[in-house]
Amino acid sequence: MDPILTINILNVVYEVSTLAVVVLGLAVVFGLLGVMNLAHGEFVMIGAYCAFFIQAQNLPFLAAIPLALLVCGFLGLVVERLLVRPLYARPFDTLLATWGLSMLLREAVEAVYGRGFRSVATPLTGSVDVLGADYPSYRLLLTVVSIALVAGLVWWFVRSATGRRIRAVVNNRELAGSVGIPVTALARNTFVFGCCLAALAGVMLAPLLPVNPTLGLDFILKSFFVLVVGGLGSLVGLISGAGVIGGVESVVSAFLDRTYGYTTVLIIAILFLWLRPNGLFPRT
Amino acid sequence: MNGGVSGPLFSFSNVTGGYGATTVVRSAGGEVSPGEACCILGRNGVGKTTLMRLLTGHLPLQSGSVRFDGQSLDGLPPDRRHALGLIYCPQERPVFDNLSVRENLTLMAPAIDEGRYAPFFAAFPILESRMTQSAGTLSGGERKILSFVRGVAEAGRLLLLDEPSEGVQQENVERMAGFLHEAKAAGRALLIVEQNLAFALDIADRVIVMDHGEVVLAGAAADMTEETLAAHMHV
Repeated sequence: MDPILTINILNVVYEVSTLAVVVLGLAVVFGLLGVMNLAHGEFVMIGAYCAFFIQAQNLPFLAAIPLALLVCGFLGLVVERLLVRPLYARPFDTLLATWGLSMLLREAVEAVYGRGFRSVATPLTGSVDVLGADYPSYRLLLTVVSIALVAGLVWWFVRSATGRRIRAVVNNRELAGSVGIPVTALARNTFVFGCCLAALAGVMLAPLLPVNPTLGLDFILKSFFVLVVGGLGSLVGLISGAGVIGGVESVVSAFLDRTYGYTTVLIIAILFLWLRPNGLFPRT
Repeated sequence: MNGGVSGPLFSFSNVTGGYGATTVVRSAGGEVSPGEACCILGRNGVGKTTLMRLLTGHLPLQSGSVRFDGQSLDGLPPDRRHALGLIYCPQERPVFDNLSVRENLTLMAPAIDEGRYAPFFAAFPILESRMTQSAGTLSGGERKILSFVRGVAEAGRLLLLDEPSEGVQQENVERMAGFLHEAKAAGRALLIVEQNLAFALDIADRVIVMDHGEVVLAGAAADMTEETLAAHMHV
Protein backbone atom coordinates (compact mmCIF):
# COMPACT_ATOMS: atom_id res chain seq x y z
CA MET A 1 0.00 0.00 0.00
CA ASP A 2 1.09 3.59 -0.61
CA PRO A 3 2.79 4.68 2.65
CA ILE A 4 1.11 8.13 2.54
CA LEU A 5 -2.30 6.47 2.33
CA THR A 6 -1.42 4.11 5.18
CA ILE A 7 -0.39 7.04 7.36
CA ASN A 8 -3.57 8.91 6.54
CA ILE A 9 -5.70 5.90 7.38
CA LEU A 10 -3.84 5.43 10.67
CA ASN A 11 -4.35 9.11 11.43
CA VAL A 12 -8.09 8.79 10.87
CA VAL A 13 -8.27 5.74 13.13
CA TYR A 14 -6.22 7.55 15.76
CA GLU A 15 -8.47 10.62 15.61
CA VAL A 16 -11.69 8.59 15.76
CA SER A 17 -10.65 6.24 18.56
CA THR A 18 -9.25 8.91 20.88
CA LEU A 19 -12.30 11.09 20.26
CA ALA A 20 -14.54 8.12 21.09
CA VAL A 21 -12.88 7.76 24.52
CA VAL A 22 -13.60 11.41 25.33
CA VAL A 23 -17.19 11.31 24.05
CA LEU A 24 -17.99 8.03 25.78
CA GLY A 25 -17.62 9.63 29.22
CA LEU A 26 -19.74 12.59 28.18
CA ALA A 27 -22.45 10.42 26.61
CA VAL A 28 -22.80 7.94 29.47
CA VAL A 29 -23.21 10.85 31.91
CA PHE A 30 -25.76 12.49 29.62
CA GLY A 31 -27.68 9.24 29.18
CA LEU A 32 -27.91 8.48 32.88
CA LEU A 33 -28.16 11.93 34.48
CA GLY A 34 -29.57 13.95 31.60
CA VAL A 35 -26.68 16.32 32.24
CA MET A 36 -24.51 17.71 29.47
CA ASN A 37 -21.29 18.36 31.35
CA LEU A 38 -19.72 21.30 29.53
CA ALA A 39 -16.69 21.04 31.82
CA HIS A 40 -15.91 17.56 30.45
CA GLY A 41 -13.10 18.98 28.29
CA GLU A 42 -11.54 20.61 31.34
CA PHE A 43 -11.19 17.19 32.94
CA VAL A 44 -9.22 16.17 29.84
CA MET A 45 -7.12 19.31 30.32
CA ILE A 46 -6.48 18.56 34.00
CA GLY A 47 -5.48 15.00 33.06
CA ALA A 48 -2.94 16.46 30.62
CA TYR A 49 -1.55 18.77 33.32
CA CYS A 50 -1.22 15.77 35.64
CA ALA A 51 1.05 14.21 33.01
CA PHE A 52 3.04 17.46 32.83
CA PHE A 53 3.30 17.65 36.63
CA ILE A 54 4.52 14.04 36.91
CA GLN A 55 7.20 14.57 34.28
CA ALA A 56 8.33 17.78 35.94
CA GLN A 57 8.89 15.72 39.11
CA ASN A 58 11.00 13.26 37.09
CA LEU A 59 8.57 10.47 37.87
CA PRO A 60 7.72 7.77 35.34
CA PHE A 61 4.98 8.80 32.87
CA LEU A 62 2.59 6.03 33.96
CA ALA A 63 2.45 7.53 37.45
CA ALA A 64 0.33 10.29 35.89
CA ILE A 65 -2.57 7.86 35.45
CA PRO A 66 -3.31 7.22 39.15
CA LEU A 67 -2.72 10.90 39.92
CA ALA A 68 -5.14 12.07 37.21
CA LEU A 69 -7.79 9.52 38.26
CA LEU A 70 -7.44 10.60 41.87
CA VAL A 71 -7.59 14.32 41.15
CA CYS A 72 -10.42 14.19 38.62
CA GLY A 73 -12.31 11.47 40.51
CA PHE A 74 -12.31 13.60 43.65
CA LEU A 75 -13.20 16.73 41.67
CA GLY A 76 -16.03 14.82 39.95
CA LEU A 77 -17.37 13.67 43.31
CA VAL A 78 -17.47 17.23 44.65
CA VAL A 79 -18.97 18.65 41.45
CA GLU A 80 -21.69 16.00 41.35
CA ARG A 81 -22.71 16.65 44.94
CA LEU A 82 -22.57 20.46 44.89
CA LEU A 83 -23.45 21.36 41.31
CA VAL A 84 -25.08 18.54 39.39
CA ARG A 85 -27.35 16.90 41.96
CA PRO A 86 -29.04 20.09 43.22
CA LEU A 87 -29.80 21.08 39.62
CA TYR A 88 -31.11 17.68 38.64
CA ALA A 89 -33.90 17.81 35.99
CA ARG A 90 -33.06 21.43 35.17
CA PRO A 91 -31.08 20.93 31.95
CA PHE A 92 -30.58 24.58 31.08
CA ASP A 93 -29.34 25.46 34.58
CA THR A 94 -26.95 22.52 34.45
CA LEU A 95 -25.54 23.75 31.15
CA LEU A 96 -24.89 27.18 32.66
CA ALA A 97 -23.45 25.72 35.85
CA THR A 98 -21.05 23.34 34.11
CA TRP A 99 -20.06 26.07 31.66
CA GLY A 100 -19.23 28.25 34.66
CA LEU A 101 -17.30 25.36 36.17
CA SER A 102 -15.29 24.97 32.97
CA MET A 103 -14.28 28.64 33.14
CA LEU A 104 -13.36 28.27 36.80
CA LEU A 105 -11.18 25.24 36.11
CA ARG A 106 -9.45 26.96 33.18
CA GLU A 107 -8.73 30.03 35.27
CA ALA A 108 -7.53 27.94 38.21
CA VAL A 109 -5.05 26.03 36.03
CA GLU A 110 -3.97 29.27 34.38
CA ALA A 111 -3.32 30.77 37.81
CA VAL A 112 -0.94 27.93 38.62
CA TYR A 113 0.73 27.22 35.28
CA GLY A 114 0.10 30.37 33.20
CA ARG A 115 -1.24 30.54 29.69
CA GLY A 116 1.82 29.26 27.88
CA PHE A 117 2.01 25.93 26.10
CA ARG A 118 3.70 23.15 28.03
CA SER A 119 5.05 20.12 26.37
CA VAL A 120 5.00 16.60 27.70
CA ALA A 121 7.73 14.31 26.39
CA THR A 122 6.55 11.17 24.61
CA PRO A 123 7.12 8.20 26.88
CA LEU A 124 7.60 5.97 23.86
CA THR A 125 9.87 7.40 21.19
CA GLY A 126 10.70 6.11 17.75
CA SER A 127 8.45 4.75 15.09
CA VAL A 128 7.31 1.40 13.85
CA ASP A 129 6.93 0.09 10.35
CA VAL A 130 3.29 -0.42 9.42
CA LEU A 131 2.89 -1.90 5.93
CA GLY A 132 5.91 0.03 4.71
CA ALA A 133 5.00 3.30 6.39
CA ASP A 134 6.87 4.78 9.33
CA TYR A 135 4.36 5.58 12.07
CA PRO A 136 5.14 7.06 15.51
CA SER A 137 5.08 4.25 18.09
CA TYR A 138 3.27 6.27 20.74
CA ARG A 139 0.44 7.28 18.39
CA LEU A 140 0.01 3.68 17.37
CA LEU A 141 0.03 2.49 20.97
CA LEU A 142 -2.50 5.17 21.87
CA THR A 143 -4.78 4.11 19.02
CA VAL A 144 -4.65 0.48 20.15
CA VAL A 145 -5.26 1.38 23.81
CA SER A 146 -8.19 3.67 22.87
CA ILE A 147 -9.85 1.01 20.72
CA ALA A 148 -9.35 -1.58 23.46
CA LEU A 149 -10.75 0.84 26.07
CA VAL A 150 -13.87 1.68 24.05
CA ALA A 151 -14.43 -1.96 23.08
CA GLY A 152 -13.94 -3.08 26.69
CA LEU A 153 -16.34 -0.47 28.01
CA VAL A 154 -18.98 -1.27 25.41
CA TRP A 155 -18.66 -4.96 26.24
CA TRP A 156 -18.95 -4.19 29.95
CA PHE A 157 -21.94 -1.92 29.37
CA VAL A 158 -23.78 -4.63 27.43
CA ARG A 159 -22.79 -7.66 29.50
CA SER A 160 -22.25 -6.66 33.13
CA ALA A 161 -24.95 -6.40 35.79
CA THR A 162 -23.99 -2.77 36.47
CA GLY A 163 -24.17 -1.99 32.75
CA ARG A 164 -27.67 -3.48 32.64
CA ARG A 165 -28.71 -1.38 35.62
CA ILE A 166 -27.34 1.77 34.01
CA ARG A 167 -29.38 0.98 30.88
CA ALA A 168 -32.41 0.36 33.09
CA VAL A 169 -32.05 3.77 34.76
CA VAL A 170 -31.59 5.47 31.39
CA ASN A 171 -34.79 3.85 30.14
CA ASN A 172 -37.02 4.24 33.17
CA ARG A 173 -35.63 6.06 36.17
CA GLU A 174 -38.74 5.73 38.31
CA LEU A 175 -39.10 1.98 37.84
CA ALA A 176 -35.36 1.55 38.44
CA GLY A 177 -35.70 2.99 41.94
CA SER A 178 -38.69 0.77 42.63
CA VAL A 179 -36.93 -2.46 41.68
CA GLY A 180 -34.18 -1.55 44.13
CA ILE A 181 -31.50 0.17 42.07
CA PRO A 182 -29.88 2.91 44.18
CA VAL A 183 -30.36 5.50 41.47
CA THR A 184 -28.66 8.42 43.24
CA ALA A 185 -25.51 6.47 44.03
CA LEU A 186 -25.39 5.00 40.53
CA ALA A 187 -25.70 8.48 39.03
CA ARG A 188 -22.91 9.77 41.25
CA ASN A 189 -20.60 6.88 40.37
CA THR A 190 -21.34 7.30 36.69
CA PHE A 191 -20.52 11.00 36.82
CA VAL A 192 -17.23 10.30 38.60
CA PHE A 193 -16.50 7.55 36.10
CA GLY A 194 -17.08 9.95 33.18
CA CYS A 195 -14.67 12.46 34.75
CA CYS A 196 -12.06 9.75 35.26
CA LEU A 197 -12.38 8.63 31.65
CA ALA A 198 -11.79 12.23 30.49
CA ALA A 199 -8.77 12.47 32.81
CA LEU A 200 -7.35 9.25 31.42
CA ALA A 201 -7.74 10.57 27.88
CA GLY A 202 -5.97 13.75 28.98
CA VAL A 203 -2.95 11.83 30.29
CA MET A 204 -2.73 9.68 27.18
CA LEU A 205 -3.06 12.60 24.77
CA ALA A 206 -0.76 14.97 26.68
CA PRO A 207 2.43 14.05 24.79
CA LEU A 208 0.72 14.78 21.48
CA LEU A 209 -0.94 18.06 22.41
CA PRO A 210 0.25 21.55 23.22
CA VAL A 211 -0.79 21.41 26.89
CA ASN A 212 -2.48 24.69 27.81
CA PRO A 213 -5.50 25.75 29.88
CA THR A 214 -7.84 26.03 26.87
CA LEU A 215 -7.22 22.61 25.36
CA GLY A 216 -10.48 21.31 26.77
CA LEU A 217 -12.56 23.67 24.62
CA ASP A 218 -11.59 21.91 21.44
CA PHE A 219 -12.62 18.55 22.94
CA ILE A 220 -15.98 19.67 24.27
CA LEU A 221 -16.88 21.22 20.91
CA LYS A 222 -15.88 18.14 18.97
CA SER A 223 -17.63 15.85 21.47
CA PHE A 224 -20.74 17.93 21.13
CA PHE A 225 -20.58 17.63 17.33
CA VAL A 226 -20.16 13.86 17.66
CA LEU A 227 -23.34 13.64 19.73
CA VAL A 228 -25.18 15.94 17.29
CA VAL A 229 -24.23 13.73 14.36
CA GLY A 230 -24.47 10.33 16.05
CA GLY A 231 -27.53 11.03 18.16
CA LEU A 232 -27.87 10.39 21.88
CA GLY A 233 -29.56 7.04 21.52
CA SER A 234 -26.88 4.42 21.54
CA LEU A 235 -23.26 3.44 21.52
CA VAL A 236 -23.55 2.71 17.81
CA GLY A 237 -24.58 6.33 17.31
CA LEU A 238 -21.70 7.53 19.44
CA ILE A 239 -19.10 5.53 17.56
CA SER A 240 -20.49 6.44 14.15
CA GLY A 241 -20.63 10.09 15.22
CA ALA A 242 -16.99 9.90 16.31
CA GLY A 243 -16.26 8.24 12.97
CA VAL A 244 -17.89 11.02 10.96
CA ILE A 245 -16.47 13.94 12.95
CA GLY A 246 -13.01 12.53 13.68
CA GLY A 247 -12.76 11.01 10.22
CA VAL A 248 -13.86 14.05 8.23
CA GLU A 249 -11.70 16.39 10.26
CA SER A 250 -8.53 14.36 9.89
CA VAL A 251 -9.09 13.66 6.17
CA VAL A 252 -9.85 17.28 5.28
CA SER A 253 -7.01 18.48 7.49
CA ALA A 254 -4.61 16.11 5.77
CA PHE A 255 -5.53 17.19 2.25
CA LEU A 256 -6.18 20.92 2.86
CA ASP A 257 -5.35 22.24 6.30
CA ARG A 258 -6.72 22.20 9.86
CA THR A 259 -8.85 25.31 9.39
CA TYR A 260 -10.71 23.65 6.54
CA GLY A 261 -11.00 20.48 8.60
CA TYR A 262 -12.58 22.40 11.43
CA THR A 263 -14.86 24.37 9.11
CA THR A 264 -16.10 21.19 7.45
CA VAL A 265 -16.94 19.63 10.81
CA LEU A 266 -18.80 22.77 11.81
CA ILE A 267 -20.83 22.72 8.58
CA ILE A 268 -21.70 19.05 9.06
CA ALA A 269 -22.86 19.73 12.62
CA ILE A 270 -25.00 22.67 11.47
CA LEU A 271 -26.52 20.60 8.66
CA PHE A 272 -27.37 17.84 11.12
CA LEU A 273 -28.95 20.25 13.60
CA TRP A 274 -30.96 21.71 10.77
CA LEU A 275 -32.00 18.63 8.79
CA ARG A 276 -31.65 15.73 11.20
CA PRO A 277 -31.69 17.11 14.73
CA ASN A 278 -31.89 13.68 16.35
CA GLY A 279 -28.72 12.43 14.66
CA LEU A 280 -28.04 9.20 12.84
CA PHE A 281 -29.30 6.99 15.67
CA PRO A 282 -32.04 8.83 17.56
CA ARG A 283 -32.97 8.06 21.12
CA THR A 284 -36.19 6.08 21.18
CA MET B 1 -44.16 -11.74 60.54
CA ASN B 2 -44.79 -8.45 62.22
CA GLY B 3 -42.41 -8.74 65.15
CA GLY B 4 -45.03 -10.75 67.01
CA VAL B 5 -47.32 -7.73 67.17
CA SER B 6 -50.53 -8.10 65.22
CA GLY B 7 -51.82 -5.07 63.38
CA PRO B 8 -51.22 -3.32 60.11
CA LEU B 9 -47.96 -3.97 58.28
CA PHE B 10 -48.41 -0.79 56.30
CA SER B 11 -50.37 2.29 57.19
CA PHE B 12 -50.66 5.82 55.96
CA SER B 13 -52.53 8.75 57.37
CA ASN B 14 -53.25 12.32 56.36
CA VAL B 15 -51.28 11.79 53.14
CA THR B 16 -51.37 14.98 51.10
CA GLY B 17 -49.32 15.69 48.00
CA GLY B 18 -49.12 16.11 44.27
CA TYR B 19 -46.95 17.62 41.61
CA GLY B 20 -44.97 20.71 42.54
CA ALA B 21 -47.33 23.21 44.15
CA THR B 22 -50.41 21.36 42.89
CA THR B 23 -52.08 19.19 45.48
CA VAL B 24 -53.78 16.13 44.00
CA VAL B 25 -54.31 13.89 47.02
CA ARG B 26 -55.72 15.29 50.28
CA SER B 27 -55.61 13.65 53.71
CA ALA B 28 -55.72 10.09 52.44
CA GLY B 29 -55.48 7.33 55.01
CA GLY B 30 -55.56 3.57 55.04
CA GLU B 31 -53.84 0.43 56.24
CA VAL B 32 -53.22 -3.15 55.28
CA SER B 33 -52.25 -6.13 57.42
CA PRO B 34 -50.33 -9.29 56.54
CA GLY B 35 -52.46 -11.72 54.56
CA GLU B 36 -54.87 -8.97 53.59
CA ALA B 37 -55.69 -7.16 50.34
CA CYS B 38 -56.83 -3.58 50.21
CA CYS B 39 -58.18 -2.27 46.92
CA ILE B 40 -58.23 1.40 46.01
CA LEU B 41 -61.14 2.15 43.70
CA GLY B 42 -62.35 5.23 41.92
CA ARG B 43 -62.84 6.91 38.59
CA ASN B 44 -59.98 7.92 36.32
CA GLY B 45 -58.13 11.01 37.46
CA VAL B 46 -59.21 11.00 41.10
CA GLY B 47 -55.64 10.64 42.38
CA LYS B 48 -55.20 6.87 42.82
CA THR B 49 -51.89 6.70 40.95
CA THR B 50 -50.69 9.89 42.63
CA LEU B 51 -51.45 8.28 46.00
CA MET B 52 -49.42 5.20 45.00
CA ARG B 53 -46.49 7.40 43.95
CA LEU B 54 -46.67 9.26 47.26
CA LEU B 55 -46.65 5.97 49.17
CA THR B 56 -43.71 4.56 47.19
CA GLY B 57 -41.50 7.63 47.54
CA HIS B 58 -41.68 8.84 43.95
CA LEU B 59 -43.39 12.04 45.02
CA PRO B 60 -42.67 13.97 48.24
CA LEU B 61 -45.42 14.22 50.85
CA GLN B 62 -46.73 17.71 51.49
CA SER B 63 -47.95 16.37 54.80
CA GLY B 64 -48.95 13.14 56.47
CA SER B 65 -47.06 9.98 57.31
CA VAL B 66 -46.41 6.55 55.85
CA ARG B 67 -45.34 3.66 58.10
CA PHE B 68 -44.12 0.19 57.28
CA ASP B 69 -43.57 -2.44 59.96
CA GLY B 70 -43.60 0.20 62.68
CA GLN B 71 -41.03 2.36 60.91
CA SER B 72 -41.62 5.76 59.33
CA LEU B 73 -40.76 5.84 55.65
CA ASP B 74 -40.44 9.61 55.66
CA GLY B 75 -37.83 10.77 53.15
CA LEU B 76 -36.69 7.25 52.22
CA PRO B 77 -35.91 6.94 48.49
CA PRO B 78 -37.69 4.19 46.49
CA ASP B 79 -34.71 1.81 46.46
CA ARG B 80 -34.51 1.87 50.29
CA ARG B 81 -38.26 1.17 50.51
CA HIS B 82 -37.73 -1.75 48.15
CA ALA B 83 -34.98 -3.07 50.41
CA LEU B 84 -37.43 -3.05 53.35
CA GLY B 85 -39.90 -5.16 51.37
CA LEU B 86 -42.16 -2.76 49.48
CA ILE B 87 -42.65 -4.06 45.98
CA TYR B 88 -44.23 -1.61 43.54
CA CYS B 89 -45.56 -2.30 40.05
CA PRO B 90 -46.49 1.04 38.47
CA GLN B 91 -49.40 1.61 36.12
CA GLU B 92 -47.54 3.47 33.38
CA ARG B 93 -44.28 2.24 31.86
CA PRO B 94 -44.31 -0.91 33.99
CA VAL B 95 -41.19 -2.56 32.50
CA PHE B 96 -37.79 -1.61 31.07
CA ASP B 97 -38.58 -1.44 27.34
CA ASN B 98 -34.93 -1.50 26.26
CA LEU B 99 -34.09 -4.67 28.21
CA SER B 100 -35.07 -8.18 27.23
CA VAL B 101 -37.78 -10.05 29.12
CA ARG B 102 -35.05 -12.10 30.80
CA GLU B 103 -33.09 -8.98 31.77
CA ASN B 104 -36.26 -7.46 33.21
CA LEU B 105 -36.69 -10.52 35.42
CA THR B 106 -33.04 -10.90 36.42
CA LEU B 107 -31.96 -7.27 36.69
CA MET B 108 -31.41 -7.53 40.44
CA ALA B 109 -30.56 -11.26 40.55
CA PRO B 110 -27.57 -12.89 38.90
CA ALA B 111 -29.42 -15.61 37.01
CA ILE B 112 -32.94 -16.69 36.48
CA ASP B 113 -34.16 -18.72 39.40
CA GLU B 114 -36.28 -21.40 37.78
CA GLY B 115 -37.90 -22.31 41.07
CA ARG B 116 -39.03 -18.74 41.54
CA TYR B 117 -40.44 -18.22 38.07
CA ALA B 118 -41.58 -21.73 37.11
CA PRO B 119 -45.20 -21.35 38.29
CA PHE B 120 -45.44 -17.99 36.52
CA PHE B 121 -44.04 -19.35 33.27
CA ALA B 122 -46.56 -22.20 33.51
CA ALA B 123 -49.41 -19.71 33.91
CA PHE B 124 -48.12 -17.17 31.39
CA PRO B 125 -46.19 -19.17 28.77
CA ILE B 126 -45.96 -16.07 26.57
CA LEU B 127 -43.20 -14.74 28.86
CA GLU B 128 -41.02 -17.79 28.54
CA SER B 129 -41.39 -17.78 24.78
CA ARG B 130 -40.31 -14.12 24.61
CA MET B 131 -37.35 -14.34 27.01
CA THR B 132 -34.76 -12.90 24.64
CA GLN B 133 -37.01 -10.27 23.04
CA SER B 134 -36.87 -6.73 24.27
CA ALA B 135 -39.78 -5.93 26.56
CA GLY B 136 -40.66 -2.96 24.36
CA THR B 137 -41.92 -5.38 21.70
CA LEU B 138 -44.57 -6.84 24.05
CA SER B 139 -48.17 -5.67 23.91
CA GLY B 140 -49.48 -3.43 26.68
CA GLY B 141 -51.16 -6.34 28.45
CA GLU B 142 -48.06 -8.53 28.16
CA ARG B 143 -45.97 -5.78 29.71
CA LYS B 144 -48.39 -5.63 32.62
CA ILE B 145 -48.05 -9.42 33.03
CA LEU B 146 -44.24 -9.13 32.97
CA SER B 147 -44.37 -6.36 35.57
CA PHE B 148 -46.80 -8.40 37.70
CA VAL B 149 -44.57 -11.49 37.57
CA ARG B 150 -41.46 -9.46 38.43
CA GLY B 151 -43.23 -7.99 41.46
CA VAL B 152 -45.11 -11.01 42.78
CA ALA B 153 -42.03 -13.27 42.44
CA GLU B 154 -40.05 -10.95 44.70
CA ALA B 155 -39.91 -11.76 48.39
CA GLY B 156 -41.16 -8.42 49.73
CA ARG B 157 -43.90 -8.44 52.34
CA LEU B 158 -45.97 -5.66 50.75
CA LEU B 159 -47.12 -5.55 47.14
CA LEU B 160 -48.34 -2.27 45.68
CA LEU B 161 -49.93 -2.87 42.30
CA ASP B 162 -51.29 -0.04 40.18
CA GLU B 163 -53.95 -1.40 37.81
CA PRO B 164 -52.32 -4.81 37.23
CA SER B 165 -55.21 -6.03 35.05
CA GLU B 166 -55.21 -3.06 32.62
CA GLY B 167 -55.16 -4.38 29.06
CA VAL B 168 -54.74 -7.98 30.23
CA GLN B 169 -56.95 -10.70 28.71
CA GLN B 170 -59.69 -12.04 30.98
CA GLU B 171 -58.20 -15.54 31.35
CA ASN B 172 -54.87 -14.01 32.42
CA VAL B 173 -56.63 -11.66 34.83
CA GLU B 174 -58.09 -14.76 36.47
CA ARG B 175 -54.62 -16.29 36.73
CA MET B 176 -53.36 -13.07 38.30
CA ALA B 177 -56.15 -13.30 40.87
CA GLY B 178 -55.00 -16.86 41.63
CA PHE B 179 -51.45 -15.70 42.35
CA LEU B 180 -52.73 -12.86 44.52
CA HIS B 181 -54.81 -15.29 46.60
CA GLU B 182 -51.66 -17.38 47.07
CA ALA B 183 -49.71 -14.29 48.10
CA LYS B 184 -52.35 -13.48 50.70
CA ALA B 185 -52.30 -17.03 51.97
CA ALA B 186 -48.51 -16.73 52.33
CA GLY B 187 -49.04 -13.75 54.63
CA ARG B 188 -48.18 -10.96 52.25
CA ALA B 189 -50.04 -7.67 52.30
CA LEU B 190 -51.50 -6.23 49.09
CA LEU B 191 -52.47 -2.69 48.17
CA ILE B 192 -54.02 -2.62 44.73
CA VAL B 193 -55.44 0.14 42.56
CA GLU B 194 -58.05 -1.32 40.21
CA GLN B 195 -60.67 -0.34 37.66
CA ASN B 196 -61.89 -3.90 37.13
CA LEU B 197 -64.50 -4.18 39.90
CA ALA B 198 -65.04 -7.94 39.62
CA PHE B 199 -61.29 -8.60 39.87
CA ALA B 200 -60.95 -6.16 42.77
CA LEU B 201 -63.84 -7.68 44.75
CA ASP B 202 -62.48 -11.18 44.15
CA ILE B 203 -59.29 -10.39 46.09
CA ALA B 204 -60.15 -7.44 48.33
CA ASP B 205 -60.66 -7.71 52.08
CA ARG B 206 -60.84 -3.95 52.42
CA VAL B 207 -61.86 -1.27 49.99
CA ILE B 208 -60.91 2.39 49.78
CA VAL B 209 -62.92 4.55 47.38
CA MET B 210 -61.40 7.82 46.21
CA ASP B 211 -62.97 10.84 44.56
CA HIS B 212 -61.48 14.25 43.88
CA GLY B 213 -58.25 13.30 45.62
CA GLU B 214 -59.94 12.26 48.85
CA VAL B 215 -61.01 9.01 50.45
CA VAL B 216 -64.79 9.11 50.32
CA LEU B 217 -65.56 5.60 51.48
CA ALA B 218 -63.53 2.93 53.27
CA GLY B 219 -64.33 -0.34 54.94
CA ALA B 220 -64.48 -4.10 54.76
CA ALA B 221 -65.20 -5.37 51.25
CA ALA B 222 -67.88 -7.65 52.65
CA ASP B 223 -69.84 -4.64 53.87
CA MET B 224 -69.95 -2.97 50.47
CA THR B 225 -72.54 -3.70 47.85
CA GLU B 226 -71.43 -3.86 44.28
CA GLU B 227 -74.01 -1.21 43.39
CA THR B 228 -72.54 1.30 45.86
CA LEU B 229 -69.04 0.74 44.51
CA ALA B 230 -70.12 0.79 40.88
CA ALA B 231 -71.83 4.12 41.49
CA HIS B 232 -68.48 5.56 42.57
CA MET B 233 -66.63 4.19 39.58
CA HIS B 234 -68.85 5.44 36.78
CA VAL B 235 -69.74 8.96 35.87
